[in-house]
Amino acid sequence: MAKQVLLIDRDKAHAEALTLYLHRKLYDAVISTSNEQTLLFLDTHALDIIIAYPFATPETGQYLLAFKKTNPLVQIIITAPKSDLDEAMDLFGLNALDYLELPVNSKALDLALARAGAQTGLLTRMDLYTGRLEDLHYARNLFNQLFEEVPCYISVQDRNLRITAANRRFKRDFGGLVGGFCYEVYKHRSSPCRECPVAATFSDGKSHTTEEIVTSKDGKQYNVLTQTAPIRNGDGEIAQVMEMSTNITQIRQLQDHLVSLGLMLGSMSHGVKGMLTALDGGIYQLEAGLDQKDDKRMNLAFGQIKNMADKIKKMVLEILYYAKSRELQYETIEVAEMTDNVVATLTPLAQKHGIKFLVSIAPDLGTIEVDPQWMEATLINFLENAVDACLFDRNKKNHQVSFTVEKKSRTDICFTIQDNGIGMDAETRNKMFSLFFTSKGSQGTGLGLFIAHRVIKYHGGTVHVDSRPGDGSQFTISIPFQKPENARIMEPPAKDKG
Amino acid sequence: MKKKILVIDDDLNVSDYLASLFQDKGYQVSVAGNVKEGIKLAKAQHPDLITLDIEMPGEWGPRFYRQLSQEPDLKNIPVIVISGLSGHQYAVVKAVASLSKPFDREELLKIVEEILN
Repeated sequence: MAKQVLLIDRDKAHAEALTLYLHRKLYDAVISTSNEQTLLFLDTHALDIIIAYPFATPETGQYLLAFKKTNPLVQIIITAPKSDLDEAMDLFGLNALDYLELPVNSKALDLALARAGAQTGLLTRMDLYTGRLEDLHYARNLFNQLFEEVPCYISVQDRNLRITAANRRFKRDFGGLVGGFCYEVYKHRSSPCRECPVAATFSDGKSHTTEEIVTSKDGKQYNVLTQTAPIRNGDGEIAQVMEMSTNITQIRQLQDHLVSLGLMLGSMSHGVKGMLTALDGGIYQLEAGLDQKDDKRMNLAFGQIKNMADKIKKMVLEILYYAKSRELQYETIEVAEMTDNVVATLTPLAQKHGIKFLVSIAPDLGTIEVDPQWMEATLINFLENAVDACLFDRNKKNHQVSFTVEKKSRTDICFTIQDNGIGMDAETRNKMFSLFFTSKGSQGTGLGLFIAHRVIKYHGGTVHVDSRPGDGSQFTISIPFQKPENARIMEPPAKDKG
Repeated sequence: MKKKILVIDDDLNVSDYLASLFQDKGYQVSVAGNVKEGIKLAKAQHPDLITLDIEMPGEWGPRFYRQLSQEPDLKNIPVIVISGLSGHQYAVVKAVASLSKPFDREELLKIVEEILN
């Protein structure tokens, strides 16, 4: 495409002669002899070169200087009579490419035009490079941002499994040890793992996926899904390997929870079926007693039905507690009121089974800030377990359960529940607060003590267990009188770790 | 002479129920709460029928059945499985009947009657 030239001159005849010359040299030239034309051409033409007499009108020089500022690629060649050249040079300085004396020497014009072409080419290339550099800078920033902010762990490793780069999340959880060995930083090991996906990628150049358990700088364990990819150098050789790990701990916890839930449903459905069969048995006995007008049989049957209804109720309530999520509802209540409710519930149960129930409640215990519903249910749960422990024990004739309430310190109250029942071995003691653990076969859900333990923990309290097989058990429960500052929400549990 | 039934179940409420049910129909009933006691009673009494729970704490009903099958004079005693365990019908394939808890009383009595008479 021909280059566009604007000729500004006061002398139209001279300008036309120059235009003819430019046309012969394959330039596309237009002439302006007035301010109006100059402004129009500057505005509407994609100009490459301007050949101008800067004093064609008083404003020409100013127009051109302003135009050059915003269009640095357009080259200006000044033409002026010798008398004006100095002034033109003072005005334009380096803004003009060349200064030619009028009348214009054609050779000097040819050289100036050639120089303008070369200069424009140079500037155009520079403009292109600058643009590319800006793009590169943008891409680099974008890449950096992606690398740093992507919601997974990224590390780059060399052949010795040394970390050469790591993203922000990796550094946050595993420390900023660029230069450390992957197995040290990620797994706290002193030697490489047996099945290393990074080593595998170095060896076959393929991406590898594994599931790993890694340990953070704080000692927390995470399940991660790891994928590797080779990073090749200019010669196509694998220089480094990128390892990207996604934290799937929550997914694994959820899976564990679902497995536990499945196990619980299985064991509970077995228990429920047994209870329903026993309920059928009670109904049968009642029917038979009515038929035979046998009062004794009817009374026994009624007791059996009531017992089964209670057990089913308890099981259903435990499941409902398990599924429930609510904030602890703290109330300030008299300790005596709470313990009276607990004792009133337990007394008939102990009497029914001929178990001595010893109650000792210190006077003037004052008030306590707890969720009364949860706290009463928790104490009743421990006491019911104490009764069950006595019922399971066939070796002693006389059984007793004691319930002692006293001030442990100025800040804490202490509930002690003691029985002389069957007692627990070390394994049962260790697992007793775990979700779905029960030592009562199909009679238990494995929820009662799990929930009770959580209630105590959420109230900022502790439980101490002392038990030996054959000797019985003692539970010492401490609860602060005042609501703890970090009061918690009772949630349906994931898997209990405590 | 009264026909004899041996009930094996760890749940006292269930074994009491079964015992009353059978006694009321004129059968002679003995009850075992675990596998060991069950084998002992079977050997001593040679019952005409056994009802067997599959899953008891620390016990496994199919093991009882294997032990029973190894005794020449006990192996032909018919066994009815009564269990709350899902899939119990596959646990003792040679059982004459397999009922789920809670079972239908009339159905059980009908099966027992068919076997014993």
